[in-house]
This record gives sequence, C-alpha cells and structure tokens, in this order.
Amino acid sequence: MSAQAASRSPRSLAWTRRRTAFAQFSREFAHSRSGMVGLVFLVVIVALALLAPVIAPAWMLDVTKVMDSPRFAPPSWEHPLGTDHQGRELWVRMLWGAQVSLLVGFAATAMSMIIGTIVGIAAGHFTGWAGAVLMRLIDFFLVLPSLILAIVLSTVLSRGVWTIVIAIGLTSWAGTARVVRSQTLSVESRDYVERSRVLGAGHWHIIVKHLLPAVLPLVLANTTLTVGSAIISESTLAFLGLGDTTLQSWGAVLRNSMDVSAATSGYWWYVLVPGVAIVLVVLAFTLVGRAVETIVNPTLRSR
Amino acid sequence: MTNTVPPTEEILLAETSADRAPRSTSGLTYFLTKLGGAAVSMVMVILLGFFAFKILPGDPVAGLARERQLSPEQIAQLRTQMGLDKPLWQQFVDYIVNVFTLNFGESYVYRKPVGELIGDYFWNTILLTGTSAVLAIALGLWLGQKAGWRPGSLFDRITSGMALVLWSVPTFWLALILLMIFGGTLQWFPTGGMTSPDPPADLFARILDVAAHMVLPVLTMVAVVYAQYVMVMRASLMEEKSADYLVTARAKGLRDDLVRRRHAVPNALLPAVTLMFLHIGGLIAGAVTVETVFSWPGLGKLTFEAISGPDLPLLQGTFVVFSGVIIATNLIADMIYRRLDPRVRRG
Amino acid sequence: MPDLTFEGVSITYRTSARGARGEIPAVRDVDLRLPAGGTLGIAGESGSGKSTLAMSVLRLLPSNARLTGRVLIGDTDVTELGFGKLRALRWADASIVFQGAMHSLNPVRTVGQQILEALELHVADGWKTEAARKARVADLLRAVDLPPAKADAYPHELSGGQKQRIMIAMALACEPEIIIADEPTTALDVIVQQQILEMISRLVTERGISLLMISHDLSVLATACERIAIMRDGEVVEIGQAHQVCTQGEHPYTRQLADAFPTIGDPASRRNPVTRRERTLPASGVPGGMTDEVLLEAKGVSVTYHARGRSAQAVKSVDLEVRRGEIVALVGQSGSGKTTLARTLVGLQQPDPGSVIRFRGADLPSRGRGLQAFRKQVQMVLQDPTAALNPKLSVYESVAEGLRVQHYRGDETQRVAQSLVDAELTPPEDFFAAIPQELSGGQRQRTVIAGALAVGPQLLVADEPVASLDASARGEILSLLLSLRDRLGLSALVITHDLGLAWNIADTVAVMYRGEIVEYGPTEDVLLDPQHQYTRELLAAAPTIDRTIA
Repeated sequence: MSAQAASRSPRSLAWTRRRTAFAQFSREFAHSRSGMVGLVFLVVIVALALLAPVIAPAWMLDVTKVMDSPRFAPPSWEHPLGTDHQGRELWVRMLWGAQVSLLVGFAATAMSMIIGTIVGIAAGHFTGWAGAVLMRLIDFFLVLPSLILAIVLSTVLSRGVWTIVIAIGLTSWAGTARVVRSQTLSVESRDYVERSRVLGAGHWHIIVKHLLPAVLPLVLANTTLTVGSAIISESTLAFLGLGDTTLQSWGAVLRNSMDVSAATSGYWWYVLVPGVAIVLVVLAFTLVGRAVETIVNPTLRSR
Repeated sequence: MTNTVPPTEEILLAETSADRAPRSTSGLTYFLTKLGGAAVSMVMVILLGFFAFKILPGDPVAGLARERQLSPEQIAQLRTQMGLDKPLWQQFVDYIVNVFTLNFGESYVYRKPVGELIGDYFWNTILLTGTSAVLAIALGLWLGQKAGWRPGSLFDRITSGMALVLWSVPTFWLALILLMIFGGTLQWFPTGGMTSPDPPADLFARILDVAAHMVLPVLTMVAVVYAQYVMVMRASLMEEKSADYLVTARAKGLRDDLVRRRHAVPNALLPAVTLMFLHIGGLIAGAVTVETVFSWPGLGKLTFEAISGPDLPLLQGTFVVFSGVIIATNLIADMIYRRLDPRVRRG
Repeated sequence: MPDLTFEGVSITYRTSARGARGEIPAVRDVDLRLPAGGTLGIAGESGSGKSTLAMSVLRLLPSNARLTGRVLIGDTDVTELGFGKLRALRWADASIVFQGAMHSLNPVRTVGQQILEALELHVADGWKTEAARKARVADLLRAVDLPPAKADAYPHELSGGQKQRIMIAMALACEPEIIIADEPTTALDVIVQQQILEMISRLVTERGISLLMISHDLSVLATACERIAIMRDGEVVEIGQAHQVCTQGEHPYTRQLADAFPTIGDPASRRNPVTRRERTLPASGVPGGMTDEVLLEAKGVSVTYHARGRSAQAVKSVDLEVRRGEIVALVGQSGSGKTTLARTLVGLQQPDPGSVIRFRGADLPSRGRGLQAFRKQVQMVLQDPTAALNPKLSVYESVAEGLRVQHYRGDETQRVAQSLVDAELTPPEDFFAAIPQELSGGQRQRTVIAGALAVGPQLLVADEPVASLDASARGEILSLLLSLRDRLGLSALVITHDLGLAWNIADTVAVMYRGEIVEYGPTEDVLLDPQHQYTRELLAAAPTIDRTIA
C-alpha cells in the first residue's frame, strides 16, 4: 500500500476519503429499517408526483370535462378514492397535489436551510458585536409566531406559490440557525480549531475546512426534518386560503372539504385522504431524518 | 405549524453545551435583565409589524382592490382612510403613537376598533391555549421521562412511535378529523363555538358548557404539541443517563426509580424546559387553525377572518398580540428556569 | 472486618454490532486479595481494566458487561446477591470515592443533601433520627477539614479539592469496612493532591478501613499503599510491596511504568526520558545544547481577562526568555496563568498595554501579514492530541494544513513526508491515509508535532504535551522533543504541572504561581536548591516513589 499511497496526489487521497465515508454512510443507513421504509416511500411518492401528467392527464381536473361524474361519490372500484364536490376524482387531485406540496416543501426548505446555515455559522464564529447582533436576530425570529408572520407575508405579497415558499422560508430559518450556531460554538472551542489558528488560518479557512464539514451532517439531518415541517406549513397556509388557489395542493383540497362542510356531512374520504397523505409523507421524511441523525451522531445509537 | 423542526436529540446535545452559561445574580437583577430583553423584543416586533406592511413589495390597497371592484375614487378614499397618502415617516410616527395608545386602527371586516375586538377575544384564546399548554407540558414531561429511562422498551417504542406520528399530523387536519368523528358522526361533543346557543344561567352549568365545547379543540392542540415535548424530555433524559453522578447515586444503594426521580429527572428537566417554552410559539400558532375549525371565538379565528379581507389592521393587531404573548411566556420560562437551576441562582 | 477477594474474575463487554467488535475482554482471570485493614493499590494505564475491576465490587458495571468468577466481601459473593441485599450492602459494607472534581455530584442538590441521602438509605443506631443524621453530616465534614456550613453548598460553589473532600466524607458516612478510591487525585493540583492523599491515609488508618486505590500514577500509589498490583490489558502482571514494585520491579512493564515518573535529583533520568527507541543524535554525534542567542523575549507581560463586568489578571508582569536550542519548562498548577501566558506568547491572546514581547528582536505583530510570518517561526502543540486533530481529516491533511494556510510554494507531499520523519513516524507513506481514530495517543501527538514542524518553526510552545498520554507514550514524546532540539536546533517552551518532566528534559525552569514567576533559573538550581517558598512546597508535595507517608 505504501508505494501506491506515495504516488497518489493529496487531492485524490481526499476524494478517496470522502467516497469511503459516503459508502459507509449508505451502508449504515441501509441498516436502519425505519429509515429505509421512509426512503422507499418517498422515492415512490416523488416518482408518482413527477409522473402525474402521464398517469392522470390534465383534462381530468377540468371541471367542465367531468360534468357527468357523480359528486361526492364515496370510494369504490370506479372511483378509487371517491370524488369531490365538483365530480373530480380525488386520486387525480392527490397526484397533482403531490407536485405542489413537494415542490413547495423542498423549495422552502432549501431557502430556510441556506439562510439558517449561513447565519448560524456566522453567529457562532464571529465574536464581538457581529456575533451578538446575529444571535439577537436569531432569537428574535424564534420568538415570532411563524404562522402569523407567514400569513402576514402571504397577504401582503402577491398571491402565488412563490409567496408561500418565501413566507415559509423566511419564518423557519431561525430554528436551523440556532442549532447550527450551537454546533458551531462547540466546534469552535475544540482544540483543532485553535490549532488551525496557531498555524495561521484566517476566517475563511476555518469556516470552510473545519466548521462547515462539522456542521453539514447536522444540517443534513435537519433538512430532512424541515421538509416535513415545510409541507405541513404549506398545507396549513393553503388550508387558510393563502397561496395560489388555482393549484392543487393537498392543503387546498382540505380547504375545499371544509368549505363544503364535508366533515359534518359525512363525506369522510374528502377529509381523510389528503390528511393521511400528508401524515405519511411527513412521517417518511421524519424517519429518514432520524436515521440520518443516528448515523451522524453515534451517541444516539441506543434509540 | 411548528416554529422549528422537531426538537431531536442533536438539538439538545448542541444547545445545552453552548448556550447555558450559568451566572449568578440576585432574583431582582435577573428579572429586570430578562424583562429588559423582553421589552427590546417587543419593540422589534412592533417595528416589524409596521415594516412588514410598508416596506414589502405589495400594495395593500391593490390587494383590497383585487378582491372587489373599486372605482378610482374609492381607491383614493381608501388610501386616505388607511393613511397611505401621508409620507412614510409620518405614517411611522402615527403608528408608534397608535400602538402606545393601543389604537390598532379599525378593522375593515368588522368596522370596529381593532383594539376592542382583540380585547373581546383575547381571554378566550388564552383559556384555550393555556389549558392546552399545561396539559401538553405535563403529559409530555411524564411520558418523556418514563420513555427516556428505558429506551428501546415496549413502552418507549409505543410512546415514541405515537409521538412521531402525531408530530407528522397537521393541526388543522386533526381538528377536522376529530370534528368529523366526535362532533359529526358520534355527536358526543358540540361541533363549534364556545357556548351553546342558549347558555344556561347557572354559573356551574355554564362552566360545564364551556368545558364541553373545549374538549375537542384542546384535545387537538394537546395531541399535536405533546408529541414534541415527549421527544424533548425523552432525549434530555437519555442524555442524562450517562452522567457520573448517577453512578454515585446507585453506589449508595438507591433504587432505580428513585435514581431516576431524584437525580436524573431534575437535571434532565433543565434543557427540556428551555426547549419546551421555546416551542410554545408552535402551540399558539396552532390556535389559528383550531379556532377556525371549531369556530372558537378567539384571536385565531379573528386572524383567519382577517385573511379573507385582507383586513390589514386586524392582522397587524393579532400579529403584535400573539408575539407579545410568546415573549411573555418566554419571560415566565426564564424565571422558572432560574428556580430549577441552582447554578443560575447562586454562582 | 472482612477481606476483599477477587477469585478468577473475568469481565467482558458486549459492544454494538457496528465494526463487528463483539465481545471485548476488560479483565482477564484476576486473583487479588485485600486483607482486612490493609491498603492495596492497582496501577495501570487506560484500558488496563483497573477501573472495571474496582466497579465490579459493588456491581456498578454497565448492563452490557458480563462477569465470571467471584468477588467476595468476607464470605459473601457479591455476584450472587439479589438486588435487595446488594443495595443494602452498597455503601454500608463498601463504598467508593469517585473523582469528585469531575461530575460525580448531582449539580442541582446541595452536597449535604447528598450525604444525608446515604445516611437515610442505611439507617443505623448512630443516626436513627433526623437530627442525629444532620449532626453526623457535620461531623463528617469536620473530619475532612471542611466547615460544617459547607453542607448547604451546591457542587458548583466548591473547588476541586473541596469536592473531593466531600466525596471522601460521603464515602465514610455509613461506616464502611472497605473503601475503594478510584483515581481520587487526578485533576487536582499537586499540593491539594498531597493533602487529599494524606487525609485518606489518615482516615483509613484511624478507622481500620481497608483501602483499594486505583491510579495511573505509580508514585501516588507508592505514597498511600502498602502493596501495589500492576495491571495491563486486563491481567495482573506483578504484585508486591509498594517500595519493592516501584524500585525493583521484576516485570519489564512495571519498570517502564516506574521509570516514566522520574525522581527529581536522580542523575540517571536527567535529560534521559525513558523510551523504547534509541535517541537519534545529529550527524556530529554530539547532543545539541543551548546557545546565547535570545529567540523569544517577554518583559513585563500582563494579561487581564474581562468577563461580565469583572476583570481578573491572569498574568502579572512576567519576564521570560527562550534562547536558541534551549528547552524551558514553565511549571505551575491550574489557575497559575501558565496556559494564558503560553497563548499570549504565541499571539493567540492580547496582552495588556505595556507588555513587551519580542521575537528575534522584533515586536510581536498583532495581526495581518506580520502575524502570519510570525506563525512560521513559532508554533504551538496543545495538550490533548485527540482533540487537536480534526477527526475527519487524514494525517496527511492535518500535517499539510499549516502549509496550505501559509500558501507554501514548494512540494507539499515531500514536506509532509519530511515532517512525519522528523516526528519519528516512519515510513511516512504508511501514515498518509490514516485517520486519528486509527492511531495511538503517542502517534497522534507525533502527528500534531509533525503538523507544527511542517511550517519550519524555530520555537515550539508545548502546552502539557504529555498530560493526556499514557506513561509509555510519555517518554517517547519527551525524547522526541530532545531529539528535535539536537537534530533541528528547535527550541521549546514546555508548559507543565509536572516537576518530574522539567527534570527530565528542561535546561531552564520557571515556576509560576498566581500569575507571577516566583522562581526562574537553570533546572539543577531550581529543583535541587529552591529559593522560593512555593517551589519548596511543590517539591515537597510532588509524590515520588521514595517517599511514603507515616
């Protein structure tokens, strides 16, 4: 091995290290039953969402084209998940809704994660007034009732999907930032960061080489969990009538169901189906997130 | 909707080490410091309340005009009414003055002063959320410490499993489901409102009546929020289990459940309490959807109705009030923490 | 009074499936006997199984531990007791003095309450009523030289030494017949350590209690125990009278352990740390030495900390010099300010205005390019090599880090290899891809040193370089420092609490106490003929193998 190792460049050594680490991560993840179940389920859902236009062509959503369909038909062989108040198949609305819910979930999470990680690392790394101001900012955003703030934002900005994304992204980054900040502080106090400083490292080197890699696994676990949270938020906002009401998100379907008093009128499938879908998808994300967390932090092994 | 991601173990491990630097101060100094912090937060909330509506792209009047067909004169009249024709700094000053005189303007939808509306409905929301918070915290703490002591046991797996599933449930949907089952199909509980159409005259009967109306909403809120608290307490206790002083306690001959109750739990409570109160925001935000579904006459329902306007003064008002409640709750949490942790009381 | 007997005791740990570790033996077939009223010390490095063995007496092992054999207190086999009898036996028959300075006390209850708890669990005639119990707590505190009022203190309000006394008081509470002391003096200052050892010895002799003491430090055991057993990898390799074992050990491992703690004044250990390798001498065959050229000069250096409105002066007007080729030992206990001084000299901490620090005649730059250039000249090695290396980076990347940060223009690979060779990690290619987890403590410290050497410094500041290492690795690293001085002319400023280390390798010693340098001069002068009172106290308190108590 020694002869080979000497001839390999340091860059290839680093890449081999990363590949090995990733392979080990995947192996360990495969061991987690709940994580794998969640992952498989998510892959299926994402596939279905992408294939929605193929499996359930858009005309099936057009109210004018389904005039002959019975309204409020309970689930049966003909109408697998029942129909809604305008005769549309519920399973069709669900498929199309998956697109919106997942898209908003991912986009809002990406925004939240990026802002949260940057602010969190900055708040943890920079001492003095910069760090203190950022910490105050994080604490302030944590105090705000995010749903109310999201409602305010959605109302003030023009209605649409991206408004929802921004609203969720801007109100949920603080949780990530707080966690990232704590982790950054604990890494900063480690000796190898001090050693880096003694060797002459500046801010950039320490952040990129030590802080970011130490924080990223945590952020990854957090991201998966945040997606679930974002999907719930999106459905809540859609339920409240915000966002683009022409789009088919699962929350919007539930809003319809409330508008037609489905709950008290006995149209149970209208209420049950979209909700179960949300629960299953969020649960899947949560299981995956927890599995990732267990791998990233071996001390959590016992759970 | 939750404020943050579920408080998993990572968060606890990260937080407790870095943040809680104990310092000793007299009770009064501590309270005043925290009160000062709370005041600063409140000021920032009020500022945000102003700027959210002014700075962001989006013309509130245009939003209103979209919903109904308004003539140009009506639009101009609306602008004047809302004070939008004044220069920005003037609007700001007016806003600050109004806030201090508790004048939040007039609601578009109700045509009543917002302050009055909020005053009417405020205590209803506090009743609902307060009861839910107390129940959720108690349930979460109790289940969490029992589960965290023996991770992997049947009790733990059932508790954690339930908590994970319930955490994944959107509050409003659970409300709908409970409404459907218990209100609609089984008809055990009333389907909406805070009191029956003909409230009974007798005080005790009235209390019972309100309580009956409270069951479903409280059940909904507790079910969704307790899950978070269970996981927090569980993680905290699991973290505490490896502590050295527990070995000392066992070595003295202490029984296992006493080791848990007397030594592990009081220490595990500290980070758990901090996190629980931090996530109170989620509970309070849940009030919006729950009150809407169950037609509970509270601030949440007001907020919902403000959306359809959009009734901006009302939204502004509820936003400020909700934030204030959360800030006040955090202040209470700080005081409770001080009581629990001697390292903060005496340094 | 019962004997404590271990008969054929073996303990294995079952670990989680990851990495296929399976069962790890911690203790292998150990036979030991502690006669009633006697004192026995168990010495060993980390991983020797000594703590595991001690914990088994009260069955305090974690649930994944499996024990075979018998552990007898008198005639009772502890391993076969039911829980009820076990709980009754715990603390009443045998108790443990844990490392109090660490986290062995519940932070949210007063220490008095915690001692009371023991008394309430094992009620005896002497303390049947609540009043009697409170009186007993006061008595116990007095016995360990603490004022009874301290019973109302919380652990965080006490110093390390005070907490250790509380642990001792708590152990004595129920009048046990056997006391097990598990590393009772680790993490304590040398002077406090001596007080605690004296106290333990006195108390057990007065009350006729048997003492089983665990430590990694042979000299600590030599002062307090009649007999010593040496454990290694779970087995007892030697056992005998304390003095005999320490000075004339039969087993080579015993001798290695004993030699790791040199006796001050012994010329055989002067500049001759024990190591398995031959010290590599420079080509000329003559060991290098001190020259007159002054590299680092500190005059009137003071450092003040400001925190939350209070300020504390950690370093008070210190004068210090390091010459080329010189090894200076800065000796002090925790709280003396030695680490602060070291960090200030390396530029990690700002000194107070008026302090003068010069490197080769030029003032210490505080920021920018000047500071970066300075970092090429003076490097630092920290105490814990495990913490000092990023666990995710390979050895190559850790050593190359300094070069990358300094934008080194030459051949990086070659320089890294050379540094590893200088740090005696050969062949270097074997270590390129290794991660810290795969290395031993000594190898990790060598990696850290290699990382410091890579940028080509002239002065190395080492903060407690061997404190976290086992005795066997200790000598290796000290020998490396000497060898670096010989071969590369590298000067060193070594921060330590251990006078024996100064005797081992230093040319000059500076003794620090409460922020001030109280004594400063050539090693022979300071250690053999100390002038200052504090230095004399330190020397008197340092546990050595030749001295025993009473």
